Amino acid sequence: MNDMPSSTVTTDFERIFHPRRIAIVGVSTRGPGFGSGIFHSLRTIGFEGEIFLVNPKGGTLDGVPILPSVADIPGAIDFAIIAVQARAVPEALELCRRKGAAGAEIFSSGFKELGTEEGRLLEQQVVQVARRGIRVIGPNCFGIYCPASGLTVLPGPDLSRESGPVAFLSQSGGMAIDFANTGKSIGLRFSKMVSFGNGADLREVELLRYLTDDAETGVITLYIEGVADGAAFFDAMRAAARRKPVIVYKGGLSNAGARAVQSHTASMGGSRRIWRAMLRQVNAVQVRDLPEMSQAALAFAMLPPRPFRRISVLGGGGALGVAAADAAEPFGLTIPAFDPPLVERIEAILPRPGSSAGNPVDVANPFVAPEVLKEVLLLAAEDPRIELQIFISLLSHYKNMARMMGLPVKEVAPYRDLAAHFQEVARRTGKPVVVVLPNPRRGLDHLDVVEMIALARRTFMAHGIVVFDELHEALRAIGHLNVHYGRKTV
Amino acid sequence: MNQAMAQQIIQEALAQGRKALSEHEAKQVLTAFDIPVTREVLVTDRTALADAAASIGFPVVMKGCAADIVHKTERHLVRLDVRDAAEALRMYDEIVGAMQGVDGGVLVQEMVRGRRELVIGLTRDPQFGPCVMFGLGGIFTEILKDIAFRRAPLSQGDAMEMMAEIKGAGILEAVRGMPAADKEALSRILMAVGNIALAFPAVAEIDLNPVILAGERPVAVDALMVVRHDGDDR
Repeated sequence: MNDMPSSTVTTDFERIFHPRRIAIVGVSTRGPGFGSGIFHSLRTIGFEGEIFLVNPKGGTLDGVPILPSVADIPGAIDFAIIAVQARAVPEALELCRRKGAAGAEIFSSGFKELGTEEGRLLEQQVVQVARRGIRVIGPNCFGIYCPASGLTVLPGPDLSRESGPVAFLSQSGGMAIDFANTGKSIGLRFSKMVSFGNGADLREVELLRYLTDDAETGVITLYIEGVADGAAFFDAMRAAARRKPVIVYKGGLSNAGARAVQSHTASMGGSRRIWRAMLRQVNAVQVRDLPEMSQAALAFAMLPPRPFRRISVLGGGGALGVAAADAAEPFGLTIPAFDPPLVERIEAILPRPGSSAGNPVDVANPFVAPEVLKEVLLLAAEDPRIELQIFISLLSHYKNMARMMGLPVKEVAPYRDLAAHFQEVARRTGKPVVVVLPNPRRGLDHLDVVEMIALARRTFMAHGIVVFDELHEALRAIGHLNVHYGRKTV
Repeated sequence: MNQAMAQQIIQEALAQGRKALSEHEAKQVLTAFDIPVTREVLVTDRTALADAAASIGFPVVMKGCAADIVHKTERHLVRLDVRDAAEALRMYDEIVGAMQGVDGGVLVQEMVRGRRELVIGLTRDPQFGPCVMFGLGGIFTEILKDIAFRRAPLSQGDAMEMMAEIKGAGILEAVRGMPAADKEALSRILMAVGNIALAFPAVAEIDLNPVILAGERPVAVDALMVVRHDGDDR
């Protein structure tokens, strides 16, 4: 119901996500505030465009003069960030519209989310201004993060400037911040992130349609609490999922069906079941929390677009063996046993005793040379059934070796060699290699291990090798790939 | 029976301020959408019973039938496996007595034999509108809640997927000497239930429970159709 403007006004998303001249309306020179906070964030992250600051009281902030009104900005602006009191928002928005802004994000709260008549009316006024030709993100939101342009959410001065294929739409600002930071930690790169809060104007359906066509976006992720128009959302989701993977984290689900119904069908049709069904029907991927969403996005962003049903699992640690097979099954993955001749050839190059090469392949100890592991992976890939290989690398064990050698663990653990070799294996075999880096050593006495694992993750990722913390997380993420690409033709 | 007549049945029920169609009315609406239902005759006159039962053929099932009666089993208004005319008369009197003057009749229907019971239904979700349900039927529906939903309209692919999605999907395969279910026929029913919702906004909820597999062939044995006035499509 709120998507009307698209039919009358062509939305200039380019100027919204990649603005060259922006206004921050509502900067306080004293103490912390949303306006000055976003100004510092944009400065720190390195936004390259021109920033104009506005506050009726004037003054300067970090040497930048503060203009008394939006009208005083010389020339036109592309985008505005509005952080004034709710009551002053409609007028500020109108002034930005007259300055030619294609869009504005409104951080201010005090609108519909209050549930008061005043809040509802103010939001209505925002919508009315928007209809005249300025697209609104918010109110009550954290706005846009776009690594390519340097637009960032609040508080986002330390987010990555590296662009990638993953877009995120979120009704929750906190979720956007968390996901952006998680992404930076695990090497997930974003094209665009929009926290749209109340979604008075732009919200899930229109943004989904935009991202469906957006060449910078290869994977769409969403955090959704409620949708304004279920039918339009369903259609937009279906259209999007036909073009690129769509991953959905739905908040606030209930098992209870509608009250006061007579049929069993209606009493069993609670939001949890219906949402799951709708997402399946449009071939979207449903996840249950932020970590699962991050991991699924990572898998979709880095692995080739096809299902991987039969895999090999190699390496060491408690997750190998029976646990691996059990963990794989629920995700539609099998770990087929290698034929005896292949087992023999693999075992011939692995240390004895301790190794077993049936698939899963236990390589005997964490210190097997990277060149040997490369040969093992090349051999395992000879089994024509295998479509993808997972290697569980127990790098944290290098801590004690490093201690004996009197060297920092990050200089001893051979992750650079492993990354180069695994990349070569994946390239030569055409079968992706996925790395799992479990780290049970995370305490204060092991911060050097934590650092080494982070470096290892970055190195593997830089070599195109996707990394997960735990085997079951890798299996679950690949399982999502299998469901999505397995049903792509539906 | 065609869709115009189905429309008329629904309109009359609404005009009378009713919240549901009787089983017999509901099955006429189903028939208009080519959903297979039990052969049945509604008897409102004791003297017509013998002919009705003969036309269906013994053994028959007899049910108290009125729009105000939604849960027939709980009110002891269902008699299975009625073997002959004399038993039919006795059951008729018992059922009419148990109905305690409620306006209606006694439904005489074929006794569908089959050990596999399914449920097919419709609900209207506040956000997504009409959604069709498929699952294990009979008493297992509420206990196991082994069900799948899809939003209407359904493609045949949607219908096939929801049948495969339930944990008990194996019940549709050839099992214990029973033939595999006719999944094409089941998918046509699932799509048709969605089409009823799209054609008639006044149909708020549907339960076809059980849909019995008579051999490979699905038949809607019982039907509940809840109607409401506002015609709101949500």
